[in-house]
Amino acid sequence: MFNKVLIANRGEIAVRVLRACRELGLETVAVYSEADRQALHVRYADEAYLLGPAPSRDSYLRGDKIVEIAKKTGAGAIHPGYGFLAERADFAQAVIDEDIAFIGPKPSSIAAMGDKGVARATVRSAGIPVVPGTEAEGSLRDDELLAVAPEIGFPLLIKATAGGGGKGMREVRDLEEMPLLLTSARREAEAAFGDGNVYLEKLVEGARHIEFQILADTHGNVIHLGERECSLQRRHQKLLEESPSPFVDEALRQQMGEVAVRAAQSVEYVNAGTIEFLVDGEKNFYFLEMNTRLQVEHPITEAVTGVDIVKEQIRVARGRTLKHTQADIQMKGWAIECRVNAEDPYNGFMPSTGYISNILLPTGPGVRVDTGVYPGFEISPYYDSLISKLIVFGETRAEVILRMRRALEEYKIVGVRTNIPFHQNMMDSHRFMGGQFDTQFVEKRFSMERADHGRASSPHIAAIMATLVAHQQTQRSAHVIQRNERDTSNWKWMGRWERIHR
Amino acid sequence: MKYITTIDEQEFVVEILDEEHIIVNGETCSVNFESISGESVFSLLIDGKSYEAYVYEGDFGWEVLLQGSLYPATVVDEREHRLRSTFGSSPAQGGEFYLKAPMPGLVVDVPVDEGDEVNEGDVLLILESMKMQNELKSPRAGKIVRMRVKVGDNVERRQTLLSVV
Repeated sequence: MFNKVLIANRGEIAVRVLRACRELGLETVAVYSEADRQALHVRYADEAYLLGPAPSRDSYLRGDKIVEIAKKTGAGAIHPGYGFLAERADFAQAVIDEDIAFIGPKPSSIAAMGDKGVARATVRSAGIPVVPGTEAEGSLRDDELLAVAPEIGFPLLIKATAGGGGKGMREVRDLEEMPLLLTSARREAEAAFGDGNVYLEKLVEGARHIEFQILADTHGNVIHLGERECSLQRRHQKLLEESPSPFVDEALRQQMGEVAVRAAQSVEYVNAGTIEFLVDGEKNFYFLEMNTRLQVEHPITEAVTGVDIVKEQIRVARGRTLKHTQADIQMKGWAIECRVNAEDPYNGFMPSTGYISNILLPTGPGVRVDTGVYPGFEISPYYDSLISKLIVFGETRAEVILRMRRALEEYKIVGVRTNIPFHQNMMDSHRFMGGQFDTQFVEKRFSMERADHGRASSPHIAAIMATLVAHQQTQRSAHVIQRNERDTSNWKWMGRWERIHR
Repeated sequence: MKYITTIDEQEFVVEILDEEHIIVNGETCSVNFESISGESVFSLLIDGKSYEAYVYEGDFGWEVLLQGSLYPATVVDEREHRLRSTFGSSPAQGGEFYLKAPMPGLVVDVPVDEGDEVNEGDVLLILESMKMQNELKSPRAGKIVRMRVKVGDNVERRQTLLSVV
């Protein structure tokens, strides 16, 4: 039994885990890179230790240093969060070898599910349908992949064997463009996971991406917490998730939930995990992969089931039984999560870096914000672009969409461009409102043009505001130039000017 | 002071009478306009109605982000407007295009060489930032001149990478 937890992560998820620990009365140890000295997780933790320079491979991927720090501080458990070391069996093993609890599955389950090829072979032998691909064939060379590609058929996907989150993933339309895409996929996978191996998978068109949250304890109990709809993606990065899915009825939920539980059992899974499925228009579903960790989008499941997933993770790691049985789990109401990224939706979703000078958070009924940043914090180019997650919940899907609209309008982040306007457009999209979308929707059929959603347009207000700002600027520079007309310095004068105009 | 502001080819004539009154296309309005804690978020009360928006200065004018919509705006004063209508629109379309890094990052690929002819939309350079590979494309056809970076270089935001003429 442990009473001190090291959190081997950064950003909003490190803060999320810290909060669960604090509520449970556990002490916390943060680790950080040189870029994150002022990060929220460092400020919130009871103890914090430097790992190294900003790049991940010198800091958050240094499993050896993290284990050292855990030993030195007497932390009895390590929570890996998501990304970084969360799905590295060798890290989990190194943790356990030091008699430290790993808040996650057994290394053998991570290895089985983490290698996507082995994962697909394992669940297929348990009678679970999978999407056709080079599963279970191990790591193939480029010439072997090129040879097998026509058998699978185009379009297909190149996916990183160690992957997740769309890193090292490429869509291939024909054989001709495949060699170049293989090269770039391997390069990206190598940079993100330290493993350049890839595999191929048939691209199911018009498919939805629906996943099931699993909880399992060390006493053989496995339950699911219902589904999450994750079809709204761009470059295979999820942007917005909801629970339940407007596409899933009770019969399908039961059927998929049972399969998800069976998939988890096939690798003797313990702790929180997620089974991802592709679902086609006829409600046929295929196992896609299992994420052997806490998911970014776990809060929407927490909102509709009332289960605190991180606390359950800690409970399981302490060797206790799950708090709930399957019969206890009822999905109630609706929840949507918008991922707020430092990306400019008006400029090809280009990442935006810089100092956050001000933030106004949305609050009020049914709103939760999980964030790792605050005014004065710098968004650096070293880590992913997720700034925060805006989670909204309520009784019905319609209520939640309206609530999300008002929360997005309230949310102000100054200093970097964000994708908040993208989410605002999505909330106005008739196809989104009608639940008519698939995994291709964002890239193929969604536009940022306001006319497409019939939204109110106020160009005259925009014109007035632009004019007033331009006017202020002209006035200000005119005054600063006329220096000799004042006996005080420009700086002193500027200060006065700003006080007057505040 | 009178300004001519254009959004989506629609012209608005905005005359600023004093701190609290403006005339928009001939109609007088009472306004109260404040920057929220000195930032790029602005609050406008106009005849009692309340609006809030981001106003940014972009490379080619102003950008107003209002209620989830982005409005690119150009603002010119009367004198400049007269000059422009006499001598034609001001910013020349030709000349050299400088590809600048939109964010700090690592140059992972440069698929073009000095002297190459490129078309609008061709990928000029791939910049890795925030664990994503971002394709920087040419805004117009032209010829690559002055390559200033190579694969493996770390670049700063707004650093000039190459030029297209």
